[in-house]
Amino acid sequence: MTALERAISNPPRVRGLESRSPVDGLQRRSVGFVDVFAQSVSAVAPSAAATTIPLIVTVTAGGATMWSLAIAMLLSLLVATTVNVFAKRIAATGSLYTFVSKGLGTGAAFVTGVALLIGYGFIAMFALAGAGYYLSILLHRFWSGMPSSTLVVSVLVVCMAAICLIVLIRGIRLSTRVTLLVESASVAIILVLVGVLLSQLGPTPEWAVLGLDASPENLAVGSVLAVTAFVGFESSSTLGVEARRPFASIPRALVWTVIGAGLLFLITSYSQLAGFAAMGEDITATRTPINDLALASGVEWMGLLLDLSVAASFLACAIASITAFSRVVFSMGREGVLPSRLGITHRRFSTPHVAIITALVIVTPVSVLTLVLTGGAWAAMQVLIVVAAAGYITAYVLVCVAAPVFLWRIGELTMWPLVRAVIAGVLLSIALVVYLVVESAGDRGVGVWVFLVAMVLGIATWALRHRRRPWLSSTVGVYDETVSADVLGGPPAEHR
Amino acid sequence: MSGAGELRARQPKAIHSALTVLEEVARCGAGVTAQEVSAGLDMPRATTYRLLNLLVQDEYLVRMPDLRGFALGRKVVELAHLVAAAPPPLAAREVMGRLRSSVRGGVHLVRYEGERIRIVDADPDFPLSDEQRIVRQIDTSAIGRLLLHELVRTGFDWSGLVERPKADAAALVADVDRLGYARQLGELTAGYGCLVVPIRDADGGLVAGLSLSAPCVRVEQPAALLDLMLDGSRQLQPLLV
Repeated sequence: MTALERAISNPPRVRGLESRSPVDGLQRRSVGFVDVFAQSVSAVAPSAAATTIPLIVTVTAGGATMWSLAIAMLLSLLVATTVNVFAKRIAATGSLYTFVSKGLGTGAAFVTGVALLIGYGFIAMFALAGAGYYLSILLHRFWSGMPSSTLVVSVLVVCMAAICLIVLIRGIRLSTRVTLLVESASVAIILVLVGVLLSQLGPTPEWAVLGLDASPENLAVGSVLAVTAFVGFESSSTLGVEARRPFASIPRALVWTVIGAGLLFLITSYSQLAGFAAMGEDITATRTPINDLALASGVEWMGLLLDLSVAASFLACAIASITAFSRVVFSMGREGVLPSRLGITHRRFSTPHVAIITALVIVTPVSVLTLVLTGGAWAAMQVLIVVAAAGYITAYVLVCVAAPVFLWRIGELTMWPLVRAVIAGVLLSIALVVYLVVESAGDRGVGVWVFLVAMVLGIATWALRHRRRPWLSSTVGVYDETVSADVLGGPPAEHR
Repeated sequence: MSGAGELRARQPKAIHSALTVLEEVARCGAGVTAQEVSAGLDMPRATTYRLLNLLVQDEYLVRMPDLRGFALGRKVVELAHLVAAAPPPLAAREVMGRLRSSVRGGVHLVRYEGERIRIVDADPDFPLSDEQRIVRQIDTSAIGRLLLHELVRTGFDWSGLVERPKADAAALVADVDRLGYARQLGELTAGYGCLVVPIRDADGGLVAGLSLSAPCVRVEQPAALLDLMLDGSRQLQPLLV
């Protein structure tokens, strides 16, 4: 132990470190594991997904819903562990965008960045519309003479956006705590409801529900649709700067979000499918399966509670998605990819307030516009989720390609990370193509086109900006580098 | 020898491996890569990378901005208790207290472990002038010279541990041989010197040293002071060996 002891008693000077991180200004190392976990969980919005995804998957995958969900969960776990290759090594705010820049360079990073912003942005719109939709259903129960739903939902969306703005600017701790509280409550409500349903069904399992009764292509499409229920789990990797012990807490949050959400989806799907089987009815004939089950089980009041909890879950999802969106925009502002004003932080709250306001200024009107154009909240949500899911999966594919390249670059490539990344990358690429093809032929086909146009516009903007500013290649990929105060024998941390 | 060595031997293998990796990073210096650590320790690559990443997670190590290199993190100081010596027993501290009250000057107790010096009880009223130099350049201080004498006596290779030419160092060793204790006059602080009497085990091996810092005159002609120190070392011997 002599060298270590000598280093402790008389630390050598470490050269090549700056005294300030390039992403200085955020509340560095301020939130713990629970908050980081809350960010990922809320971005997934498990309770909202648990009430809608089983139905969406069943419509396509028919008799193999449970299998589709299980496959999607395994695939998401592969992606999560691949993202963790980076999350264990780089503390960043740009999430996959920054990660890909370290593996594949600037061009690929920007494609990822555009895809990720589409993902976070459209999921935020989806969540705002969803919160508005479920709140309007609730209002309708108490005030049946309520006027035209699109107007009401639009007003509710704007109110929700205002709540998001206040919570987000006031600080990362407040926003993660609010989302955690809201999400825990709604998951608890769902679990209680599922418990009631399962206890009424009796102890014998409904084997037919667990069967594999679908063609391979239906199973594939079902699995791809089920993957969309998991997207967002990577969003805590935008908190790399703000998390305490980021290299431990973020990878753990990613994996546990996928496992937790996956188990919840499996349990709720089983209880919904078994519930409908027991009633002898077809689940695909309804739009609100859990409410129907609650009604059939004589616990209608729980359906009411459920609407409230799903609305809350959507709000939490909006907060989490805008958090992630704003952190990616913040990174781009710091790098000069976007105007540098987007990279400044609030002096008192240490949040990237300009990026947050920009995010809401884009997201709110577009979601209202979508509501008006599609003529209803449910239709709008259907289109928005397609755009978002395509964005996420594109970013996931790129990060799977980047991970082994990055490991090779830093000289740490070993077999398992390579195998995992290759399997996840290949499966996700197939999934993306299948998803785009299937959706473009369906009712939500406009979502595919919106996604493609947004990608092309984003990449074109980048190409123009890059031509005018060739130095961007050397600035893209900012992350929270080790500063001199972090090493043994460094100066004490500057008070910020 | 009790203390750190034994404690480490009892630790689970994982902690031991982690400490080995930290030791290797400390030995190679900041910027050492994962591959170099793996090669240096002859440890499987996957195991090394996993350990490195675990140590980064716990912030004992940090990655350098190139993402390839590693450096010791701030948190490593928390491991100091694992590598530092245990304090001397109460009876020994009482002897030290009595000596300090009867001697005008700084009275310190050091332990010798192999080629290392551990300062286990420094006089709080008379701090050591330059602990780092005393511990690392063993020909500079009286505490070090006693160790140098012991290393020469036991045939240990001491060439890397001294500042001055070998012949001058040999003269210092001869001085210790002649006097039976080590001394240093005005080298660390002008006008002040230091004398250290050895505490040996039954086989004559050096285990500790009782050190006195005082003005040069009194170190050069210690007279009754030396008797006091020798008496103290005799009282400490059974408590430390």
